Amino acid sequence: MKITKKEQDKKIKSRSKKADDKQKLILEILKTHGAKIYDDLDNGQFPKFSIPSRSVGNIVYDKQLRQYILGNNAALRSSRNSAQLRSFTQLMWLAFFANRLTTERKSSTLRDVYYSSQAFAVEFEDQSESDNIIVDLEAVTSRAREDFHIFPEERSSIFGDLNIEYTIPGYEGKTMNLANHPDGYSIGPSLTTAELVSTSAEIVIAIEKGGLFTRFVEEQVDKKFKSIILNTGGQAPRSTRTLLKRLHDEMKLPVICLTDGDVYGEHIAMVIKSGSANAAHLRELTVPDAKWVGVWATDIEKYKLPTIPMTESDIKRCYDLQKDPRYQDGIWKKELDVFLKLKRKAELEAFSKYGLTNITDKYLPQKLELAKSL
Amino acid sequence: MSSIKEKFNQISPSEFFYSNRDLAGFSNPTRSLYTAVREFVENALDACDQKGILPDVHLTIKAVDPDKPDPKPYILTVKDNGPGIDAEHIPLAFGTVLYGSKFGLKQARGMFGLGATMAILYGQITTNKPVIVKSSSDGKIQNQFEILLDIQKNKPVIVKHTTKEISKTGLTVSICLEGDYSKAGNKIRDYVYETSLITPYASITFDDPKNQKFSHPRFVKEIPAPPTIIRPHPHGIDVERIRRMIVESQFDIPTIDDAMIEKVRKDLGLSVKKLSFTSIMDKAKKKWKTLSRPVRVVIALMSFLKMDFEKLNKIKIEDIDMPNKKLFYWDFGDSQSKSVDMDPQSEYYKQLTNTVQGEPLTTFLTKRFQRIGPTTAVKFAEFAKFKPEKRMGTLTNQELVNLSDALQKFEDFMAPDSSCLAPLGAEPLEKGIKKFFNPDFVAVVQRPASAYSGFPFIIEMGIAYGGDIKSGGPHVYRYANRIPLLYDEGSDVVLKVVNDTDWGRYKVKGEPPFIIVSHICSTRIPYKTAGKENVADRQEIERELRLALQFLSRKLSSFMSKRGQAEMAKKRANLYAKYIPMIAEFCTELSGKKKEPNYKKMLKTEIESENKKAIKEENEIENN
Repeated sequence: MKITKKEQDKKIKSRSKKADDKQKLILEILKTHGAKIYDDLDNGQFPKFSIPSRSVGNIVYDKQLRQYILGNNAALRSSRNSAQLRSFTQLMWLAFFANRLTTERKSSTLRDVYYSSQAFAVEFEDQSESDNIIVDLEAVTSRAREDFHIFPEERSSIFGDLNIEYTIPGYEGKTMNLANHPDGYSIGPSLTTAELVSTSAEIVIAIEKGGLFTRFVEEQVDKKFKSIILNTGGQAPRSTRTLLKRLHDEMKLPVICLTDGDVYGEHIAMVIKSGSANAAHLRELTVPDAKWVGVWATDIEKYKLPTIPMTESDIKRCYDLQKDPRYQDGIWKKELDVFLKLKRKAELEAFSKYGLTNITDKYLPQKLELAKSL
Repeated sequence: MSSIKEKFNQISPSEFFYSNRDLAGFSNPTRSLYTAVREFVENALDACDQKGILPDVHLTIKAVDPDKPDPKPYILTVKDNGPGIDAEHIPLAFGTVLYGSKFGLKQARGMFGLGATMAILYGQITTNKPVIVKSSSDGKIQNQFEILLDIQKNKPVIVKHTTKEISKTGLTVSICLEGDYSKAGNKIRDYVYETSLITPYASITFDDPKNQKFSHPRFVKEIPAPPTIIRPHPHGIDVERIRRMIVESQFDIPTIDDAMIEKVRKDLGLSVKKLSFTSIMDKAKKKWKTLSRPVRVVIALMSFLKMDFEKLNKIKIEDIDMPNKKLFYWDFGDSQSKSVDMDPQSEYYKQLTNTVQGEPLTTFLTKRFQRIGPTTAVKFAEFAKFKPEKRMGTLTNQELVNLSDALQKFEDFMAPDSSCLAPLGAEPLEKGIKKFFNPDFVAVVQRPASAYSGFPFIIEMGIAYGGDIKSGGPHVYRYANRIPLLYDEGSDVVLKVVNDTDWGRYKVKGEPPFIIVSHICSTRIPYKTAGKENVADRQEIERELRLALQFLSRKLSSFMSKRGQAEMAKKRANLYAKYIPMIAEFCTELSGKKKEPNYKKMLKTEIESENKKAIKEENEIENN
């Protein structure tokens, strides 16, 4: 099918309009909050605002949304209170700074924010203080920091037949096929904000480790199983989780997770599926239909995998997760119990005992088949 | 006890102390110089205290050869305006070990004046120089002695003795000793400084080897009431002490010789030479109350012997067998031993029993201990399973041990008498702290007397904040019986109590500029070590320290809270001034406005109101 130049332009326009709309929405949110503060001051009052409480007592599991959310408790932050005045000012500055970033469509990192503050005489003791204020902004606006063009340092990567179209300044309208570079594409601000155009893949395989990601590319898992391969690099960063959600929602692709056979691996899959308590103030970060296909505790015996003993902290983590409402049934509970019984764990690389391609030749096809029935 | 006694029998006390000088704080030139200073200064202060004299103490330390490196010989001189010592006692007081005037149960800085002799001994050993003592006890003649100790014989050797006319009483002691001032200097200066804080009625000066002069003038004119000497409390007693008290309470049967008979005659007022037995007895009965103990004993014996003076002259008492009520004597006329029966109902029998077998238990308790009345004594006897009339002289060793144990365990004795203590007093302590630290806040407390193991004690404590006090507090100044304790503070009970305190609860945070002055007064301070620098954590003392500290901390807390409110108001004013304009700036751009909001008037009003609050709180602190 041939696309005319005119049609092409039209498409680009509609896509960049989408990005523009989002930008407008974000700016509107910031402006509303700013105007409230302005009015308070203009009326000769100490400005104040309310913020959802992020204390442990206010984090509850929502069974319908299948993720942790914040309860109804909210705290009032007042600039009259001398104990809150500093953080009040910090948050005002951050909103002001996010407003500039969004307007200019520039991205920055958490570390950038920490240093940028110094240009405005807004002091942060350390980065953890500025990180905390960023979470405050997220909670007040119910928007992820990425929406304000603030990104974490960590990057994960993606590979497979997926056409995207950039929306960031200087690249608007430019397209890219993500199967063009065998090392994969780093999931940064430009990829996160890009439009997803088309794909021939039928599934997304999220894999915990970079080494296995490279193996999968080499073994052409993308072609053999019509898949997009995504390296989470351990616990998946938020931008990666957003991308996974968009692949699922916009491209209608099922998502499966392949992790190490231990309690941390199991939880990596769980966070992709239902988020973390730390991000209870945010939505749109979860893929409730994502499936964890391995490595399961029960696979250890089934595939006779070489194992290593669990550490004390592994075992403690198991007991902690047993209390989590999401681990009360299904394979989540079953596998956790088996891990506790075995007190041993197996890494993805353990399959190499049976040949380097054993995991892609034997294990993966069986698991993909199994995933259909999960 | 007995093992030390044996030692004394084998070697002289001087030798014993010489070989154990580490115990007394003379282990090295640094510590020795410090200890010597302490001993002489404390002796001077004690001497003045005892006579109610406001002390003027002058301490001088000079190097014999200033160019020599440390350790080197120093001349240490301490001069006071105390009562002085009589010339006849000086050689013994400064030239023998175990001679001192500070016996008896009352609070004093040192116990027996032993330390000063140790310092003299140490000086003589290290420099071979005599001690020079200048003393005037009458304010007219000053005796000057140069004395060496004969260590083997524990005897003074007077090298030189001169006298001169003088106008004041007082004592000056000067010794030459090996010391290390470069190392000991800090401690000695601290010692003088801290001593003058707890002795505000004394004037103390110090000329150091580097020609620096430290002067601490008197700033309190009243000397605290001197302590009285009292009888011991039953809880603070041991077997050995009881044994000695019993010995003191017993009397020998006097030898009946011509001189004795003459005395009896005289005391009875008998001028007529010959007097019959009955008329002697009649006379004695009338005069009984005025008679001395030996005379009474002779009369008692005569009553059983039924003899007049003439006959009495011809016999010799051999034995008084109280259990069998028989009196044995040798008759020179017949040259044979005879005996008479004694009537136990007789008044005279009781007199003899008292003399020979000691007092009955109840009398012993009421007469020789503090705060025991006849009722308590009887109750105690029952508790200890002794007959109340049990004679002290007849106690076996086992019974003595039982008695001693029971005295410790019996709980109905009244608390020890504290009149033997000499606390400084809350007012002088407060004055001292104010003078030394010029603090923003000061509070002092004197706890009521309490006791541990029969030894009474009183805690005095002061707390001060701000002013000239360095930050990084609490800085703790520890005193025991008006002596500053400078070493080994780590394991001290006062430090323990202070460190247990959660200062945050009293609104004291960060590196606060505050001090705690703690003074423990007792007839016996329970030191942990022989060095006498740290006090053991006796439960009763710890409790009193805690109560004192809590009381003061609460006062500090209320000060801090007022001060905190003032500071908070000031802080708020500053924070508003700093941050509100920033918020205004950020929200103006954020809301897309061109002009800043109209907030300046509101801000000015708020800042003024906070500053007013601060001034109000500060005024309240001033007025308190």
